Amino acid sequence: MAGQTTLSRRAVLGATAGAGLATLLSGCGGSPGPRSSALQVWGGVPGASGPDELVAGFEEQHPGEKVAYTRFVNDDRGNLKLDTALQGGVDIDVYFTYNSTAMALRAGSGVALDLTDRVRADPALAPYLDTQAPRATVVDGQMVALATAREPYFVLVNEALREQAGVDLPRAWDVDDFHEMARALTRPGVHGAYSVPDTARVSLGANYWYAPDGGSNFGDPAFLEWLQLGRTMIDEGSAYPWTEVLARQLAAYQQNPFLQGEFALWPTAPFNLRYLNEPEDYPHDFRVAAAPVPRTARGDWNAGQFNNFIMINPRSTKLDLAWEFVRYWVTDGARAMLGGGKIPALDVLPDEEVLAGVLKEDPERFFDVDSFRHAMFTSEPKLMTDTNLTAVPEISLAVEQQRDLCWIGERTPAEAVSTIDELADAAIRRNQRKA
Amino acid sequence: MTSVTLDTLDRTRLRARRRRRSRWAVGIPLWILALGFLTPFLWMLSTSFKRDIDAYTVPMQWIPDPVQLSNYATVLLGEDSILPAFANSVLVALLRVAGELLTATMAGYAFARLSFRGRDKIFLVYLATAIIPSQLLLVPRFIYFQQLGLYDTLWALILPGMFTVLGTFLMRQFFVAQPPEFAEAARMDGASEWRIFTRIYLPLARPVMAALGILAFVWSWNDYETPLVLISSPEAYTLPLSLTSFTDEQGALSPGLAMAASVVTIVPVLVVFLLLQRRFVQALTHTGIK
Amino acid sequence: MAITSKPLPAARVLEPPLARATTARGNPSQPPGWVGWAFLAPNLLGVLAFTLVPLLSVVGLSLTSWNLVSGLSGIEFVGLQNFVDLFVDPGFWNATLRTVLYAGISVPLTVVGGLGLALALNRDVPGRAVLRVIFFLPYIVTVVAIGMVWLMLLNPSAGVVNQLLGAFGLQDLPGWFASSHWALPALIIIAIWSGVGYASMIYLSALTDAPTQLYEAAQVDGAGAWTRFRTITWPSLVPTTVFLLVTLFIGASQGFGLIALITAGGPGDATTVVSYYMYQNGFQFYRFGYAAAIGMATFAGVLALTVLTWRAQRGRTLHD
Repeated sequence: MAGQTTLSRRAVLGATAGAGLATLLSGCGGSPGPRSSALQVWGGVPGASGPDELVAGFEEQHPGEKVAYTRFVNDDRGNLKLDTALQGGVDIDVYFTYNSTAMALRAGSGVALDLTDRVRADPALAPYLDTQAPRATVVDGQMVALATAREPYFVLVNEALREQAGVDLPRAWDVDDFHEMARALTRPGVHGAYSVPDTARVSLGANYWYAPDGGSNFGDPAFLEWLQLGRTMIDEGSAYPWTEVLARQLAAYQQNPFLQGEFALWPTAPFNLRYLNEPEDYPHDFRVAAAPVPRTARGDWNAGQFNNFIMINPRSTKLDLAWEFVRYWVTDGARAMLGGGKIPALDVLPDEEVLAGVLKEDPERFFDVDSFRHAMFTSEPKLMTDTNLTAVPEISLAVEQQRDLCWIGERTPAEAVSTIDELADAAIRRNQRKA
Repeated sequence: MTSVTLDTLDRTRLRARRRRRSRWAVGIPLWILALGFLTPFLWMLSTSFKRDIDAYTVPMQWIPDPVQLSNYATVLLGEDSILPAFANSVLVALLRVAGELLTATMAGYAFARLSFRGRDKIFLVYLATAIIPSQLLLVPRFIYFQQLGLYDTLWALILPGMFTVLGTFLMRQFFVAQPPEFAEAARMDGASEWRIFTRIYLPLARPVMAALGILAFVWSWNDYETPLVLISSPEAYTLPLSLTSFTDEQGALSPGLAMAASVVTIVPVLVVFLLLQRRFVQALTHTGIK
Repeated sequence: MAITSKPLPAARVLEPPLARATTARGNPSQPPGWVGWAFLAPNLLGVLAFTLVPLLSVVGLSLTSWNLVSGLSGIEFVGLQNFVDLFVDPGFWNATLRTVLYAGISVPLTVVGGLGLALALNRDVPGRAVLRVIFFLPYIVTVVAIGMVWLMLLNPSAGVVNQLLGAFGLQDLPGWFASSHWALPALIIIAIWSGVGYASMIYLSALTDAPTQLYEAAQVDGAGAWTRFRTITWPSLVPTTVFLLVTLFIGASQGFGLIALITAGGPGDATTVVSYYMYQNGFQFYRFGYAAAIGMATFAGVLALTVLTWRAQRGRTLHD
């Protein structure tokens, strides 16, 4: 009994002290904290994959200035963190937006500074004024975000499997050739391809979800063809079974089955190259080549985009310094980001340097370098930027859900595409009603 | 006379044997079942020694090949070491547990054993607040805490955790099952209410307080969303937040690093649990089950 | 063990504790009302300050249209529009149905499993202390590990579970997370598995010494195991069971960590329960007003269920 009371008394005492301390200290906390002297930059790329080096370069060029890079995880909740912070007046000067979902919200909401005049005043940034293949996000005539990177898609090829099958590495091809090659590469234990490229994107280019009148465009046969091709290839075994993709969550870890030779063709983008030249962590015994994205009868868009948009918070108290930093990132600083697989949005570096930077050390050991030169540069991939962002999150979800159901064989491509069409139409109408 | 003694001796021996047999009759199936509950922990342990490429192989690879310790080195000693976050998590969890034990036992006791006007109505409102999905509170809490000047301080995590509805509910349900006669007798003897609470009911509540302590610790330790929204500087990160440094640009976790960090993270929880659950055992040994 | 030496617990079983809690009011030996308030105050003030205030704003938010990024000035009052939309939103009703299935199956089974486990762990089994920790592990281990392990165990082609089922000669093995019919059952299994340790720990802490002493006495009297359980153990566990039912229902209506991690609501919308639907609307579509309305609807449903549970147990204890 005595022991018990001492224990509880001690616990009670400790707790009281804690509570008292808490009330005491909570009174002293200042609102968001004093504005720090450093420029506050929030981005999704891990500091070690380039930003740290870039920041060091900027500080060297601008003696006396400090930059603090905060990394947020580029997922739903990470973006929510950034958005609440932006809204709450947290000290953020420069930040990044990586997907159209987040861009749709931020671009028109007063959390993005209009950069038009600053861009106009700087001849080096002239490409951002291009409206043919825009590299900037323009909302109501205001340029609010600049792409820092371009992400040309390509099809990676397991060279060992290709040579065994005795097929040539394509330099220009269409979707039928892709299908045929996948079939040729398929044998017991190996699926020809991971999946099909977004052929609707290849056919239709930017804003492919929206009809000219602004409504849903999923009535376009391009979408049905895409789902149908995927389904056909999965059924015949020339594409990876989608049930396994779901059951093993491969969407996030496609590199593992590729490195283990479970499929031979991998439609993807440069950010996945980093798994291919790290023999310690990702051992494999074949070289990788790249082929351009196959074209369709209706178009030859690359399906890749200008991406990694940099934006300035209009509430920043250091607008000029923030602009200096943005300018540095898209020009002189771009070199630092190569190692993270970021190809600069502007042509500020020679292609050869970009190629060497992205493929890193000892490239010939892991890659057919010439095929990458072709796929990423000389074939001149046609990139784009979406300008219509209506209901993007809702439509993305509908597309993903119906694609999954179709490719695991529970719904026909026609059923899936008509459901997407309905959902997209409803979401677009709801968003227009609000606006 | 002798036959009677023999008889009782026999019966005692028989009962002892039967008890020993039932000990294993329950014990063996229980241990087999336990293996099923161990799998995630074993996988965590095994993956923490793996390269990322080996983590998700199907069928499962239980023994890492090759075994590598580098995940632990990165997690503990690397640039993004979780140790500072570890200290924050300990501080937050201890204060939350202490506060919760104090306020929840008192409030639970009040709801169960003291009477005042509107008691049951207030209790219903209490329960109702627990029903609102906590994710909905994130944004309002952010706005509100920023006004209070608590944003990006550990107090934003500690203070709400010290006063919880569920803890009060648990304690109330316990005290309600305790006999009020003790209090009545003590009041006749002139004991103060505080004394009745601390000397009579609190000692009875030790097993439940141990359980609540464990729960409060786990809630605090594993909370991801509250710190995600309320904390921005890395110096104030708690453990679940610090794990985000092991995700790639697309948001995919590095399984090896994440699991090594999780193993390091879970050890204190196990220690707390082992320490506190001795309190259950103690409570039960009084009963003479042995 | 002489039962006469401890008369109190016996009296306690005869007189149902919950009934007593309500009749305690008006008892002349009760201290004045301010004592109750004083005991309640620390917690009450904290809950008011840190939970109730932000919570009331959620109620307000459910009557607005707001996307967060437009700032506080962007909050637009829309009256009951969100609730009107909700009422005709098939996504919401489907999600509600799934939640009812998910909670309705997983919660009772978790409670029963937890009780069984607690009773087993309360006996003198070898390695009892370690066993208790093991069964509680799923509650502590990071949700990432749990998700990944179950994904592998339930892999349709190479997972252990289907291999076992196949060994028993079953054809047409479940597709689990790769099938819209089996994904929800798979989540229910995981919910039960990770909940029983929690339930058993709460039960264990409530199994104090009183019933065990009565047990031995009853054993001497020759009462059967079931009678002993029903008349001695169970009545003392009713308040705890209520706590578990209520908290587990709340948990099942709110929890989506595992869903976000394993299925993201899919395949299709097969595992989009209400909490995940709310998450999608709030955190993915940034429709905060609508998400708040979903939250309020969930609130109404769970509150009704809580009150029902409450009534049921009150009736039971009074008739005992």
